[in-house]
Amino acid sequence: MPWESRERGGIYYTRTRRENGRVVREYVGSGLLGHLAFLEDERSRHEREERAARWKEEQADLDALEAPVDELSEALDLLVRAALLASGYHQHRTGEWRLRREPKKSQ
Amino acid sequence: MSPKKANSPAADKVSASDLIENRGKLLALIERAQDGAKDALPDLRKVLDEAPRIARYIDLARNVERSMVERMSGDDLFTREAIPHNLKAMRKEIAGENPSPLERLLAERITVCWLELQYFEAIYLQNLGDMTMTQSEYHQRRIDKAHRRYLSSIKALAQIRKMAPSMQINIAKKQINTAG
Repeated sequence: MPWESRERGGIYYTRTRRENGRVVREYVGSGLLGHLAFLEDERSRHEREERAARWKEEQADLDALEAPVDELSEALDLLVRAALLASGYHQHRTGEWRLRREPKKSQ
Repeated sequence: MSPKKANSPAADKVSASDLIENRGKLLALIERAQDGAKDALPDLRKVLDEAPRIARYIDLARNVERSMVERMSGDDLFTREAIPHNLKAMRKEIAGENPSPLERLLAERITVCWLELQYFEAIYLQNLGDMTMTQSEYHQRRIDKAHRRYLSSIKALAQIRKMAPSMQINIAKKQINTAG
């Protein structure tokens, strides 16, 4: 909690941050000063959350746009493979498509 | 030929429309044909005969196109009219004269992949100044993927055309030579 009460009485506003992997707590102040710092931190937090939500929404939006193009591409790759195979081609292990050679019938 | 694949459940008789709808089955069939199973070829030909069903991919491509054009143009009605006009010309030029249904589909795909790439690049450039490093990397990855899809779409059409002299695909009961 950012507000901390003291044995002598009164409450202090504190900020916690990480410095070189250690958690450091900074005592900002009590009364009006503490309250202003609290409001400023709340505003920053709210802005960060809004930015994160917007970013998430943008990602979902782009994902939704990309998915059908991906589907179309996959489906057509399959159709191309089907067409090539149906026409007598096979894919060599190098990835190249070659006409399948029919084995010579022995007489 | 792998006997395991040849005897797999995918070897069961299935209808062509089922194969188009179920890509897993189609892939299994393709893999069997790739392994040399000749009995897979009639089913593959049946898939290619089902042109009207395959044509649903054209609808899919057009929907994506419409959605991107709306986003790119916003309230600008001129751009909203101009982009589809240019795309239509592009599709026609790529498909060439007398394209086969498959070539037409591949031309649709190239156009939609091109538009997608343009759109992602535009978003990236518009937001370049405001992006964090993570966001920038995310956009670059998306652009890279779109670029790969675009190149692969061009390669697929080139492949079909390269094989053209010996490729005849029977689509919708018509013998069609895929040469453009």
